[in-house]
Amino acid sequence: MPADYLEVDQLTKTFPTAVGLFPWVRNIGRIERRVALDDVSFGVRGGELFGVVGANGAGKSTILRIVAGLVVPDRGTVRVDGIDARTAPLAVRRKVVLCCTDDRSFYYRLTARRNLEYFGTMAGLDGARLRGRIAEVVRLVDLTDDLDRRFDAFSSGMKQRLGIARGLLGDPELLILDEPTRAVDPVHAASIRGFVRNELVGRRGKTVVLATNLLEEAWELCDRIAVLRRGRVAAIGSPAALGVGPDAVRYAITIDGADDALLARTRAVPGVIDLAIDADGACAHLRVVLDSEPRTLTELLRAVSANGICVRSIRPEERRPADVFADLISERSQ
Amino acid sequence: MSGLAAPLQKVRATFLRDARLMMSYRLAFVLEFFAVVASVAGLWFVSKLVPPSAAFGGGHVATYFEYALVNVAFVTLQTAALQSFENSIRNDQVFGTLEAVLATPTNVSLVVLAAGAWAFTLAFFQVGLTLAFGSLFGLNFNHVNLGALAAFVVLAITATVPLGVISAAIIVRFKQGTPTQFILNRAATLLAGVLFPVSLLPLWLQACSWLLPITHALNGIRGAFHGATVGDMASDATWLAVATILLLPLSLLAFRSAVERAKFDGTLGQY
Repeated sequence: MPADYLEVDQLTKTFPTAVGLFPWVRNIGRIERRVALDDVSFGVRGGELFGVVGANGAGKSTILRIVAGLVVPDRGTVRVDGIDARTAPLAVRRKVVLCCTDDRSFYYRLTARRNLEYFGTMAGLDGARLRGRIAEVVRLVDLTDDLDRRFDAFSSGMKQRLGIARGLLGDPELLILDEPTRAVDPVHAASIRGFVRNELVGRRGKTVVLATNLLEEAWELCDRIAVLRRGRVAAIGSPAALGVGPDAVRYAITIDGADDALLARTRAVPGVIDLAIDADGACAHLRVVLDSEPRTLTELLRAVSANGICVRSIRPEERRPADVFADLISERSQ
Repeated sequence: MSGLAAPLQKVRATFLRDARLMMSYRLAFVLEFFAVVASVAGLWFVSKLVPPSAAFGGGHVATYFEYALVNVAFVTLQTAALQSFENSIRNDQVFGTLEAVLATPTNVSLVVLAAGAWAFTLAFFQVGLTLAFGSLFGLNFNHVNLGALAAFVVLAITATVPLGVISAAIIVRFKQGTPTQFILNRAATLLAGVLFPVSLLPLWLQACSWLLPITHALNGIRGAFHGATVGDMASDATWLAVATILLLPLSLLAFRSAVERAKFDGTLGQY
């Protein structure tokens, strides 16, 4: 298995601003296209839970749909387990499943069982194996008793869970979840999160790529997160590396002054995740993100005062993931 | 699953899906069969106004009822070929299930061809029902050449399926109801000799009629009803076979290209 189970390399995607026969005839050869993704690259390791977050229109769904083979990129490549999605799409679709939790992706007038039988067969299952898989996946998502109810009688949460069950039918290595807890009540949302983290990734070792607008969900669940801004990757890393999550603490420190040597010394302190400095006359303001080790702060202060610089104040900063996210996706952030 | 078993299982699954969906609309399903009865009865009454003629029997004197009923029955197959693929793809677009289907490890050609399985089964049932009701009104099966009939039914389907697949490709590409169905169904009624013999048309329209697969299919099927062999109708059989060989690969290529283009434009799930 390659180092990265999913490799997304220099993806660029534009979409036409108008579709259909008449725009095509009217504007043949010159329909404008808007940029959805611009040179996006990242890798997802096997068994990793990787989050994709971003504002509406940032390109989250486009990435997922390219990986699932439903959108063709203008440029760039997607490899799954070393297989190029463009040259071997069927082989990739056996390894990747986009869990369409959109409730319009099922046949409303069929029962959950009939829907799963159809999609399971299309995924390559049949007979006893198909029946066994259906029984197993509906048990996992707690829908066993509802298997013979028509899909249009399902609640939003049940529809979402059935979408995940369908995704699991073919036992894919890589699951793509597009907002799996959208329109789900908090109790079932927590249940779905626990299922994704503990069952899919923890017990079954699946690789999961999850797009979400719920930032706490991403910080809580994901091993690493890519933050998209206008079709580009604005930041990528673990929640701690991005400055949020339970493993990161923030401080605002005011000191007498700063120079390049101070910056070099403080950045070299183990456990410093991020450090920014803003000089203001005789004072300088440090904003630091540290790991949760208590001695990291002690070591940092020791490095600051090594040349006789005085620390005037130190104040812990409480930042919610939403604040960090807003910083990361804002135009000022670089 | 491996070899041929996997595609056949997928065709079966698509057939069952479409059958269950259609039968979930019970009234519409039942009305389809009342329509057959009404159609047969209507033709029988019209035939009372038209005297028997050799023009209806390809040289043998035949009744208008016999002529028109066979044509109307088998033009159902063309309608199924033209509509089933487009309707199925269109329904999947509107339901929102098209992307979910195309995200499965299934060849797109199989997806579109399987979409016709239920419609053709239903069409065959309707043809059988039409002929069965026709027999109650006096339709004579004494001279039918079953081998020739089967050959021309198969050729009629294979030669018209590509037109339906192209129609589905247009739906995927442009998201709009295509004129293909309308043009071909109307053209069949006017030009293919469904309700009156082609020989009544002006020569230039007879030339247009020759271009339609359904004209040759109906010639062959009517001939088979009067005992003709495939050899007797070799020109019609050859026309249909050549059309199949040329058009089927082209239509599947067109459908695959339409899906690829929709994926490139990001419009696969739009309608």
